[in-house]
Amino acid sequence: MIVEELAFLALAAIAVGTALAALLVRELVHTILWVSVFFVSLSAIYFLLSAPFLGVLQLGVYAGAVTILLLFGVMVTRKRIFAREAATGIGPFPLALALLAIVVLAVVAASLPQQVTLVRSYDVTLLSTTLFNQDGAWLVLLGLVMLSALSGAIYLVREGRE
Amino acid sequence: MTELSVASLLFLSATLLAVGLFGILTRRNFILLLIAVEIAMNAAILNFVYFAAFAGTPGGLSGQAIAVVLVGLAATEVAVGLAIVLALNRQRGSINVAEATSLKN
Repeated sequence: MIVEELAFLALAAIAVGTALAALLVRELVHTILWVSVFFVSLSAIYFLLSAPFLGVLQLGVYAGAVTILLLFGVMVTRKRIFAREAATGIGPFPLALALLAIVVLAVVAASLPQQVTLVRSYDVTLLSTTLFNQDGAWLVLLGLVMLSALSGAIYLVREGRE
Repeated sequence: MTELSVASLLFLSATLLAVGLFGILTRRNFILLLIAVEIAMNAAILNFVYFAAFAGTPGGLSGQAIAVVLVGLAATEVAVGLAIVLALNRQRGSINVAEATSLKN
């Protein structure tokens, strides 16, 4: 029990630290490397929360595909890929902090049950049954959204629009 | 059987949402904006997984199914965002969102 708590705290610290580092570092390529570490730490949290299928999905989709896609975007849009960004101030940092405080107060004030009990046995058949039978409409909706996004992306980058 | 406290789980996703919001409000580079949106969206997906783990096996699986759908949605959003980045780069020669001031090309 204590092992899981320590693991969760360490993973949470890594996640928050890498997310902050990704947004504060000046080189865009370093940002993408930090954010890939962030995705991997979230995947480890999913494994800890007895959702191993989601953990694998997070590794494949985020740490794999999204990271490569972002690197590709940097490669295509820059002449020197290690060029630095202009420094920006920490403008609405107090606003984000205030939002955080509100959420924390709401969590403390709400009478939530204190503990979540994790089960160690996991059956991916149950998840797939839920995904394709009970919540099948969501999956169809996702397919339609992806189709329209694909045609929209092709429309955006097509040649000869100037 | 292990136990984790709900408050610390929610605290993590609230912190990640605040970090993502901070990035969305301050950064000027389109790719950094996309990354900030991804961080905020991952905070939301994390919440679905928490409450799925909290609700147990029969009821909580819907939460995991929604999380699967949301991961696909976030990947789609990055793809469209990068298409916008490429179009912006071709038309303006820069991906600074402060310079993209008109919707017409």
